Order: sequence, then structure tokens, then C-alpha cells
Amino acid sequence: MSHEVPPVVRLGHDLVRNFEPLGPEKAAYEIATHIRKFWEARMRADLAARVRSGDPTLHPLLVRAAQDLVDDDYDRAEVSESSGG
Amino acid sequence: MTLLDQPALETPDHGTPPVLGEATAQVTVDGIGVLVPPGTSVMRAAKLAGVDIPKLCATDSLKAFGSCRLCLVEVEGIKGTPASCTTPCVDGMVVSTRTDQVAQLRRGVMELYLSDHPVDCPGCARGNCEMQELAHEVGVAEVRYGLGGASHLSEPVDESNPYFAYDPKACIVCSRCVRACSDIQQTFALTVEGRGFDARITPGGTDFLSSECVSCGACVQACPTDALTEKSVVSLGMPSRSVITTCAYCGVGCSFKAEVQGTGDGTRVVRMVPWKDGGANEGHSCVKGRFAYGYASHRDRQMEPMVRDSIDDEWRVVSWDEAIARVASGFLELRERYGAGAIGGISSSRCTNEEVYVVQKMVRAAFGNNNIDTCARVCHSPTGYGLNHAFGTSAGTQDFPSVDSADVMLVIGANPTDAHPVFASRMKRRMRAGAQVIVADPRRIDLVRSPHVEAALHLPVRPGTNVAFVNAMCHVIAVEGLYDEVFLRERCDDVDGYLEFIARPEHSPEATEGETGIPASDLRTAARLYAAGPNSAIYYGLGVTEHSQGSTMVMGMANLAMLTGNLGREGVGVNPLRGQNNVQGSCDMGSFPHELPGYRHVSRPEVREIYESLWGVTIQAEPGLRIPNMFDSALGGSFKGLYVQGEDIAQSDPNTQHVEAALRAMELVVVHDLFLNETARFAHVFLPGASFLEKDGTFTNAERRINRVRPVMPSRVGKDEWQVVCEIATAMGYPMSYAAPSEIMDEIAATTPTFAGVSFARLDAEGSMQWPVTDAAPHGTPTMHVGSFVRGKGQLTPTVYVPTTERANRRYPLVLTTGRILSQYNVGAQTRRTPNDTWHPEDVLEIHPSDAELRGISSGDVVELSSRVGRTELTAVVSERMPAGVVYTTFHHPVTGANVVTTENSDWATNCPEYKVTAVQVMVTTEAARAASLESVEASVGGKRGERVPDDVMATATEAMARRR
Repeated sequence: MSHEVPPVVRLGHDLVRNFEPLGPEKAAYEIATHIRKFWEARMRADLAARVRSGDPTLHPLLVRAAQDLVDDDYDRAEVSESSGG
Repeated sequence: MTLLDQPALETPDHGTPPVLGEATAQVTVDGIGVLVPPGTSVMRAAKLAGVDIPKLCATDSLKAFGSCRLCLVEVEGIKGTPASCTTPCVDGMVVSTRTDQVAQLRRGVMELYLSDHPVDCPGCARGNCEMQELAHEVGVAEVRYGLGGASHLSEPVDESNPYFAYDPKACIVCSRCVRACSDIQQTFALTVEGRGFDARITPGGTDFLSSECVSCGACVQACPTDALTEKSVVSLGMPSRSVITTCAYCGVGCSFKAEVQGTGDGTRVVRMVPWKDGGANEGHSCVKGRFAYGYASHRDRQMEPMVRDSIDDEWRVVSWDEAIARVASGFLELRERYGAGAIGGISSSRCTNEEVYVVQKMVRAAFGNNNIDTCARVCHSPTGYGLNHAFGTSAGTQDFPSVDSADVMLVIGANPTDAHPVFASRMKRRMRAGAQVIVADPRRIDLVRSPHVEAALHLPVRPGTNVAFVNAMCHVIAVEGLYDEVFLRERCDDVDGYLEFIARPEHSPEATEGETGIPASDLRTAARLYAAGPNSAIYYGLGVTEHSQGSTMVMGMANLAMLTGNLGREGVGVNPLRGQNNVQGSCDMGSFPHELPGYRHVSRPEVREIYESLWGVTIQAEPGLRIPNMFDSALGGSFKGLYVQGEDIAQSDPNTQHVEAALRAMELVVVHDLFLNETARFAHVFLPGASFLEKDGTFTNAERRINRVRPVMPSRVGKDEWQVVCEIATAMGYPMSYAAPSEIMDEIAATTPTFAGVSFARLDAEGSMQWPVTDAAPHGTPTMHVGSFVRGKGQLTPTVYVPTTERANRRYPLVLTTGRILSQYNVGAQTRRTPNDTWHPEDVLEIHPSDAELRGISSGDVVELSSRVGRTELTAVVSERMPAGVVYTTFHHPVTGANVVTTENSDWATNCPEYKVTAVQVMVTTEAARAASLESVEASVGGKRGERVPDDVMATATEAMARRR
């Protein structure tokens, strides 16, 4: 049941479902940008740790987005833009 | 005009409403010249000239009726003595209001009225009846027809309504109340029954409480006598002074004249009278704003700070100094032990802009992090996100009067007659004037059909499928070529890409009707109607935002408006109906963990520099935790301390068990509130808050209107909330102080571009202003995005429909959606402590007849409502308003705790909870229906009678029965 899923995994997979239609490259880039813009540092660290440990429940797109974050491959201009939510 | 603490109670009544237009008609009244727009009534022109004409059936909130015959005048060139209220001015008109003939006629009319008015009228005695004063004014010395009002003396007083009484003896059947109910409130609950001396006002042949009356109070306000009078006036007597302030309930933000007795700590509110110069409400109100203020003096209100070492201990009353020291030392200790990220704060949309601003300042400057969030997280955060993405501004596009120019209204995920009743009256008035309405809502809400109004279409969109619905609307408009090509090309980005996306066959009404439940033909009709306009406006509520695709849906509606060019002028737009009074303001004030005031991301060094230089601290460049992230982090062990201002997260936030576990995991929970609410059960420090009657500041409503909140009385707990927050920050080592809330607004204005021209002095002078208030728009901005969008070009976004993961299944075959009812407000902390409980003493579960029959449920049965995260019990109401497969409840009462069953699912972008979609099962729990229910369970999971039902389903049912027994 989804409420037993670790929060960052659940939230990350919500992003995956939303951005997946953009195709893998664009989707990973957008997910990474969103996470960089809105996620507090310890949440990003939690996700990174799960990727490092090879968590098999992680969607490949989320793994790729986490790697984009490590590589600083995200939209810096978008991160600094206002979002209002 | 200074509106501060007006000693005068009387607001000038011009007798008839104003007429718009240029003042080109020169009229002379009793020798005094006055220039008015042609068509203005003679009565109004006279008042403007300083001449009072006696009247009984006229008041300037209602169209002229011309029945009382007291306002007769003579007009040169016109035969007879026309009624001044119904006689329009024309240029050159010469009016005499005090001739002998007129005086004689008025005396005769007044004698007739007095002959049917009680000699011992208590209203006349207390000064709440215009008869005595008018009799004196028109010179009645005797009544030739006798006195005493004998024809109604035996009539009983209708005391059924908890807030006002109707005494037929004092009634003069002027019909003001009937017209107020029909023309202002638009409810049509009142009528005149009988003729001549037998005539009397009646709420449909029953008493007021049992009638269709919604207790808005418009009739009471309109009554010129004591016939309809507030019970508070009867018990307390007439008020002696008034203060103009702003309602603390919904996002309409009505202005009120608080009429009070006494001063200082001895101040008592006698009544709240909606202020007719209020920009949002123009003299109207609802049952909450006008009457439900008694919570402020309720015995449950906590007046002293309290502390305890453990949440299992008893509370101990302490001084303010001790409480503040405890809070400060507690947060400092947690920060020292666990790091700066271990503490945070939540601000409230029920607090003023100034209070909210200082809370985020405390968190950023004294706590040293960005762990600040606000209760908008759980309601309209997707509005901020979606509208900012599309238009560049996190706010609605119009003012409320804009609806008066709308030809078509798409009302989606909102129930204005219950949740935003004053604006709903305005919508209904526009519907009666011919505007077409499309209601997209699972339930058949009152706007679908109620007296004298009927929506053109009701589209019962299945919960969770809004994006598929709006995409289908856009698809029809795109494919049928109904879009505004010029608007798109001139004002929008990514036009071709969007048109290609939305024209795909998967978005067609035929392809989506299986998902949305909306017949394709109905959807095509709705799309064509919206596209035809010419002025089409979208009004929406939490039925849009509180979904897993809440932000996507907001963008989808923005697409729809841009596609048809319905932006940037009156009568159109995308308009969120905000839930709480200051949702807009609390968002504006930097309450989000990733944005500083004015929606500027914390990563921007030039923005941080503004605050760092002013505040003398370093602002963290990293986003902080959102409310649900705080809960998750608490359960994960890294978040230890929380300050909560005016929000009851243990009742209002989803998945109550999860929230409570998180609160239990924290070492310091500080609740700053009026009452020991559900969250306070987990608190270590309780700080008593101030009610809206005691606050000095501003609220910003759903139309970006900044209204003044003025203190009607001093804080009853000894300190203002902003002071308490400043003292906590100071005790933590970050000195923070202001001489008055106006200084806080000055700081907001100095640092936030959209508030640049705002100050208390300017608000007092102008009444209210809608942000942005800048050099370019010094009086504010009623309509946004005129000519161009704030972001330059509007952003069209391919809004891919992604179904929610919360789907009905065999175990939980129904979908629960939640909402509000007229008489209660949110978690009910305020309204449950008023006589509003008369109308809604408990939350109930509305269920469609077929779903009820399947389960053996009748109205009045206690049922168990269960989801994958929890279960609760409610009383069932079988209702044709519900579509089959969907059940509905409210979350006003903690005893039922509707959020026990809602899940942690949330909007992908903002984490706004998915309150509107929870897969549930409903089982009757009354003993008598047990057997029938168990049989129905078999049927509902697809089994045939006598066949085995899955163990888990049967266990759920059996357990429920056992618990009830």
C-alpha cells in the first residue's frame, strides 16, 4: 500500500507519473529541476542515498533524475523563477 | 474619508441604488441644485442635495418599489404627487419636497401606518424602529383611525431562528425584507401572504428555521421597524459606536460595521452589519459573517498561556514571560541538539498579513531556516502554482464585480452557495439577468437548480478526472475552430505545440467520457457554449485543487481561458474562490518554504539580499520543508519542534493517524490559537490567540483586495499575536519589534514590489486596494493581464491527464469527496461554538439511493466509512444530489474526523492533499440492518448470494458490526 512507501519515493514517483509523457530525457531533466526547486536538502539526500544503495523500487526515471541532480544537470533559471505554490 | 472607529452609527441611506453614468442631469430640489446621472431617482438626488425625503419601503440597497407613499413630492410640469423613489431625474427638473399638499398626504399615510402599529412598540422604545421618528418628521399629531395595531396583536413572535425574531405586530408589510431576500440574497424564502390588514410576511408558510431561509440577515438589515430584529439587540440594547472591519471567515472577505457598546475591555459586540461600501460584499453578508461571531467570547476560549512537560501531563497556567521563555529555550535547545532544520513553523490563513509576515520572518531570521509553510498548502497551493505558471501571477485575474459582465460562467469544483455565499448571491443575480452557467461537479449543487435560477448544463464529472474533462473542453474548441486565433498568436507562447497536443483524439469527449462520466454530447455543448461567450468566466474551488493533478488542472483551465481569449477584461478570467479569509495574503507574505514575500525563490541572491540587509541575518538559499514534509521528517526523526499559528492540523490535514504520529514524535509543539484544538492535544505550550475582533492589520481576499482589519476591542489575552511572535524571536536572540502593525505593513511594502503602494493610511483613505499597487497602478489593479500577461506571453501547457492512483476497487468500491456546508466553517473551531450548530450539529455522509439500497442504508442510519488508512462513523443521508458511486461528507466536526479516512496522496507539484478522492466502503452499522448489509457486501464485491465473499472484505464488515454492537 502506498502509505507504506517511503515519502521521497512516493513523491518522486508522483513526479515520474506527471513528467513521463515528455520522454525519458526531458522528463528526468524536469523532475530534477522540480526536486532542486522544491525539495529540502535532507529529502534530496534521502533520495540520493536510495539511488546509491540501488533501491529496486525506484522508477528508472527517478534514478536518472537523481543522477541529473548529482551532475547539476537541471534548469537553473527555472529553479529561481517564482512558482507560487 | 477616515473609517477608523467611527463614532457615528448611521450610514447615509440614499433611498435607491446609484445609477452609473456621467452626471449630466441638473436637478433642483427645494431650491438646491444637484448634478446627477440621468435616471437617478428624485429621492436619491434629493439626498445628494442634502434634502431628506421621508420613506419606509425604500432603501438604497434595493430597487425602488413605490409602495409606502410617504416619499411623495411635487415636480414642476408633472401632474399629481409622484413617488420620489420611482421617479427618474431628467435634466432641468424642479422638485418640491415640502409643500403643504405633500405634507398633508404624508400625514394621512403615516396615520394609516400608525393605526396598525403597536403603541408599545419595543423597537420604537429602543430606537430600532423608524416609525416614531418618521411620525414626528411628517408632523402626525393624532391618528384618526385609532391606535394599537389590533389586527396583529394575537400573532405569535417567530423566535425559531437562533439569531433573529420576527414579530408580525411591528411589521408594516413594506416588503423590504421580501425584496432583500429575492434581490440581494436571491433565495426567495419570504413572501407576503394575505391582503390589506391580513397581509403579513411569511417564510413560505412555516417558521423561519424550517423554511428555505439561509439566515443571511439581509431581511433584518432591510427592516425599517422592529419586526425583524437581532436577538442580540433585544438582549443587549442598541449599539453606541461602530468600527469598520473585515470578516474572518471565507475568502470573499466581506467588510462589516461592527456595532458595539462600551469601550476598552468593556466592549461588547451588539451586531455585525455588512458595510455597503465594502468592495467585496457591497452591503451583503452570510449567516457566518453576520451572526457567528460569538465564538470570540465563548467559554472554551483559552485566555492564558499554558505549558506542560509531556503531552500526557495536565496543563499548567503560566505567565506570558514564562511561556515565551519556554518556547524560545525549547526551540534553541532543539536547534542546538539536532541542527537548524529540526524546527519550523506553520502560519494561518485566518491571521492577518502582518501576523503571517512576522511568523515567516521569525522562522527565517530566528529559527535560521526556511521551514515555514501555511495552511494554503492544503487548499489552494495548486492555484498559486498553476496560475503563476500560465500567467506569471499566483492569484485570480478579476475582481468580484467582473461577474456582472459575464455571459457564461463555468463553475467547477466549487459550491459557492455554501462556501462563498455572498459571491454566490452575485452569481445568481447575474444568472437571473441571463448569464448561462455550466456546473462541473460530481454533486448536483444548488447552482444547478434553485428558485429562479437554473444552470444550462450540469456535468457530473467523476472525482479525479478533472484534467480529462478540461482537456476535452479544449479539444472541442481547438478541433471545431472555436478558438481566438488573434489572442493566441499575439499573447501566448507555444501555440502550435499546444494545438497539436490538444487536437489528439485521446482528448475528444467521446474518448474521455468513459473516464469522466460526462456524455460526449453534453461536453461538446458545454465547450461550444463557453467558446461562444462572448464573455466567459471560470470560477473554481477546492474541487479543482485538492487532487493529485490539482496544479495541472489549474493550468488546464488557464489553457481554456487563453484558447478563447477570455482574459484581460471584465466578465472573463480564471477565478479561484479562496477557502479562508486570508489564503491569498498568507501566500503573498512569503509563507512558502521556497519563496520569500512576493513569490520570489529563496535561491535568488538579489532577493535574499533585500531581507538580509534589512534583517541583519543570513537567509538560507535552500528551500525548507512543506507541511507534509515536516510530518514525514518528524516520523523520520529529524524534525523535532513546530510552532503552529491558528491552524488545527490534527483535524484539517489528511490521514489523521499519520499527522498525530508525527506530532507525537516531536519534542516541542507550540500551538497559538483561540481554543485547545485537536492539535493542542499534542502540544507542550499553548499560547492564547486573539480573535479577529481584536486584531489590527489587513486581510487579502480572493480578488487580491487588501482590506483593513480594525480592532473592535483590545486583545482579550493581553498581547497581540504579532507581538507574541516578535517576543519569541527576540527571546531566541533575534531582536524583532514593531511599534504597531502598520510598521509591519510598511516593511512589507518596502520589500515586496506588488505591495509597494500599500500602507494603512492609504487603505484607510481608499477603503481597500487590489494588488499590485504600484506607481503604475497607484489605486490597485481590479483586472489583471490587460494587454499582456505579467510573465509577458501566456504559457499554454500540454496538460497530460494522469489518473490518480487512488482508484475505487472491489474492497473500496465508492469514492469519497469532501467539502463544506453553509453554516459551518472548516474544522468548525469557530462556528461549532456558535448557534450555527443548529443547522449542522454533526457531519453526515451523503450517499446515492442506489448505493444506499445496495447496502441496506436508510437516512439516519449510522454507517461506517472506511478507507485503506482508517475508518470512522457518520449518520447517513440518502441523497439524489449524489451521483452513484460517490459519497460526500464535511470535516467540520472532530468527533467524526473525516480526515481519518483521507490519504496522504497529493498534488504532484505542490503536495496539496488529494482530499477529493478517497476510495472507501460504506457499511451500515445499526443492528437492525446488519443482515441486509452483509448480504449487500456480497453483492457489492461481485459475489452471488451464497457464494464466498473475499475474507478481507467480510472481515471488514463483520468487524464493523461487532464494534457497533
